[in-house]
Amino acid sequence: MGNILTLLEDASNGTCYKSYRYCADEEIKVPTINYEETQSLTPVKDRYGETDTTMKHSKSLESLSARLINNKPLFRYFLDGSRRTYKVDDIELNRRIFPIMAGQIGVACCERQSASQFKCKDVENNLVIALPSEANPENRNSELFFNNLKDKINNGARVTKSGVKFSKLLSYPSRKLDQYQDGENKKYEHLGIAIIQDEMIESEKKIVSSLTGKNLLSDNSFLLKDGSLQYKPMKTGEFKELTKIKNNYRWVIGVSKLFNPELFKDKSGKSNAAAIANLPIYHRTPAFMFQHDFEKQQYYGDYKFSIWYVRIRDKNRTESPFAGVVKIEKILITDYENESGLDTELVDIITANIINERTPVCYGKDSRWANHLYPVYLTEQFLKSKYLSDLHFLNLF
Amino acid sequence: MKLIGKIIATEKVPTTVDEFFFWTDKELIIKPFDVVKVNHLKNSVTFGVVEEISHITDSSSFLAGFISSDFGDVKHQSYTQRIGMNYVKAKVVGNSLGIYTPVIDGYPVSLADEKDVREALGLLNVKNPLPCGYIEMYEPPHNITIPVHFNAQFLIGPEGAHLNISGISGLASKTSYAMFLLKAIQDQQLNAKNGESIAYVVMNVKGRDLLAIDEPNADLLKDDKSIYKMLGLNSDPFKNVTYFYPYSKDLVTSTYGRKSDIESQLKLNKAFLYKYIFEDDKDNIDLLFSNVDDPTQTMESIVNHIATGQGRFGEISNWKDLLQEIYENTKAGKAGNKEITVLSWRKFFRLFRKTIEKTTVFSNSLSNKPKDRETRLREAIKGIKKNDAFVIDIAKLDEETQGFVFGDVIRSIYELKLGQMDDRNEADIPSKIVIFIDELNKYASKDIPKSSPILHQLLDISERGRSLGIILFSAEQFKNDIHDRVKGNCSTHAYGRTNAIEVSKPDYQYIPPVYKSMLTRLKQGEYVIQNPVFRSLINIKFPKPVYKQFKNG
Repeated sequence: MGNILTLLEDASNGTCYKSYRYCADEEIKVPTINYEETQSLTPVKDRYGETDTTMKHSKSLESLSARLINNKPLFRYFLDGSRRTYKVDDIELNRRIFPIMAGQIGVACCERQSASQFKCKDVENNLVIALPSEANPENRNSELFFNNLKDKINNGARVTKSGVKFSKLLSYPSRKLDQYQDGENKKYEHLGIAIIQDEMIESEKKIVSSLTGKNLLSDNSFLLKDGSLQYKPMKTGEFKELTKIKNNYRWVIGVSKLFNPELFKDKSGKSNAAAIANLPIYHRTPAFMFQHDFEKQQYYGDYKFSIWYVRIRDKNRTESPFAGVVKIEKILITDYENESGLDTELVDIITANIINERTPVCYGKDSRWANHLYPVYLTEQFLKSKYLSDLHFLNLF
Repeated sequence: MKLIGKIIATEKVPTTVDEFFFWTDKELIIKPFDVVKVNHLKNSVTFGVVEEISHITDSSSFLAGFISSDFGDVKHQSYTQRIGMNYVKAKVVGNSLGIYTPVIDGYPVSLADEKDVREALGLLNVKNPLPCGYIEMYEPPHNITIPVHFNAQFLIGPEGAHLNISGISGLASKTSYAMFLLKAIQDQQLNAKNGESIAYVVMNVKGRDLLAIDEPNADLLKDDKSIYKMLGLNSDPFKNVTYFYPYSKDLVTSTYGRKSDIESQLKLNKAFLYKYIFEDDKDNIDLLFSNVDDPTQTMESIVNHIATGQGRFGEISNWKDLLQEIYENTKAGKAGNKEITVLSWRKFFRLFRKTIEKTTVFSNSLSNKPKDRETRLREAIKGIKKNDAFVIDIAKLDEETQGFVFGDVIRSIYELKLGQMDDRNEADIPSKIVIFIDELNKYASKDIPKSSPILHQLLDISERGRSLGIILFSAEQFKNDIHDRVKGNCSTHAYGRTNAIEVSKPDYQYIPPVYKSMLTRLKQGEYVIQNPVFRSLINIKFPKPVYKQFKNG
């Protein structure tokens, strides 16, 4: 006894197939990039994302960044989350086959104390299993059931011996796939991965909230988060939660390496990918104000973003016109910001700081080097070093 | 003690019985030869000696470094330094419980304290301790200074014997180090209740280096004195010293010593002038030809011919007549010995005349007035006593005569110890005689003819000296040039500063690359010591000499 799969079979009245286990990140094409950048954002018509409304095309921040290089950097904390997902087995429940997904979730926040001192501030490493909601044989007490099952698994011989612990059993919806509306999530695997991804985002939010709680973030020590800030509210989507999240993000900037240039729309809503492609070096685009598309995703709540792009590397030195450009976003907090956008001066300072973060580079280590910011890369590497090896993890099952 | 890092063991670079790797902060200052300790199984501690230190970053190539400077802008600054660390390769030198399984990944590594260092290097509970220098380790505030002791039985017998010092002139201070050790031995013997009886014979081969070893060094600093104190030695100069200068009428023709100094030494009965008298020393003529290639052994036959008084050589009683008689033999058509050709006689004559006419030590007789203080070296050595230190000056003599004198000295010591000088009570003869000779390469290099009588004598001493009580302290610039059997029999080796060409020679093969390059950078007064008692090579320092230094040589 003690085998996780046996425990799962017992608890769920299902049958495991002992099928081939693999790391799902490589085997299944997961729509992760799109996930972060929700398609549902729309520009707020006739509003700018910043106070200066006179800027037409782009603006050079070369001299500002050169001036700022001798100052203390604006960004002190760097946040990155990642997850590695695995398909562990298939389980038969009520004559339907569901995948058992599992994942390692890691979220790390590193602090740059000085140019040479880079330390971990906070790190969350969680192991999770995602099961179909139908794995609960009863109709009720789903949370209790999964919690009990988690304890059983954690007390199992193999898990105890290897000294690890699962922190959560997640459940993904087991509605029949043909009833599922969204065109992309056609496989149960994807549902499982999505739920694990949600769990990772929760961990990210938790860390941001804890940094804010400790008053570590301020107007001269910002947090730079890898990726987009476009969170979707969890399950309940309560308005109160959104307000809280919003306030936590006063000193947080999201920087995305990969983005869909098609989504760059001016205030009239027209796509203008060419403007990004032709952005001169150290120039930024004007900031535009975006909000979630209420018609499609009503539960997203009411918060707006300022979004702009900056080129940090010369187009001639990168492999595509979009390599070397990063997308910067910030949640608008105050009423004034919601009305008139971010102060242009702040946008410039943030941008100049991002430009100054362009070196060192991870050239040769990461194909996305042109879009990478080194502290973020370090945080990512730190996270990766914390993972159990795939073989080790898969053999827990 | 201070934690400095943790063990790293990877697929490609595992920890082994012999070595381990650990990471440290890139700003931690640590150097080769420093001792570190690692917690190991069963609460034991494994000790390692630092061999190599490397700094790495996550940069995948030089190109990434170039790009990180904004594509080659030398003035470019960054908010973040590239992540980097140092990793250190250490050689395992021991474990407190004798556990030699490899140390385990992730285990903490720390600096060692004084007791740990002693244990690690095998300096704890050294029997018959004889100070040989001190170690300085780590940076303040963790710096420690530890006196280092040889087991005297491994340096001057009976367990092991002979010392070889190598290093380039001037920078290595080979003479100073040999004299430091001799001073330590004499100091200990003078203070010991049941000391052994040891005597010292030192050859002065360079300027006035060793011509005032019983006079204090006025430049000795307080710091140096405190080091002598730490090592348990006093900072007085040598005692019971007798100087032997090559005889010349005006005193200074054959020595670099100042006339006034020599005169005062003679007056104080501290010095002698040595001479070679034909009647007594003709047997040693072979020593004059030790560097002459003699494949057909004709030189040897001639020497035999003379020593055994063949032909008319039996009638000769002084060097001048000898030269004349040899000259007679060089004449064509000279009847007599048919075995030796006239050509050989001519060669012999040429070489012999060069030496005899140039050198003042070959004389017809010794003065019979005691105040002239003339002596034969053989006679003087015959009378050497416990704790005596003889300094024999050969610096200004020509190379052949230097060899002749040195050969005569070691031959005399050998005969004394073998009991062939029978007019001395066995118990009075010092049980050990330590000989120090610089520029050993002149007498025992690989290029010296195999027939060289001095080489034979040196080989005999290095191979049998340990049991006879003749201990050879030798020094040379390039160890690689020295005859394998001479250096192979040395139990202790001291490596001073040397050059890159020398360290690439086979003699240095077993020395790790980083230590090799360190050998080329050693400071004056620093040595790397190899001794059977130590578990690893040790980088030691020693204080300035206690005896008078002549600034102008």
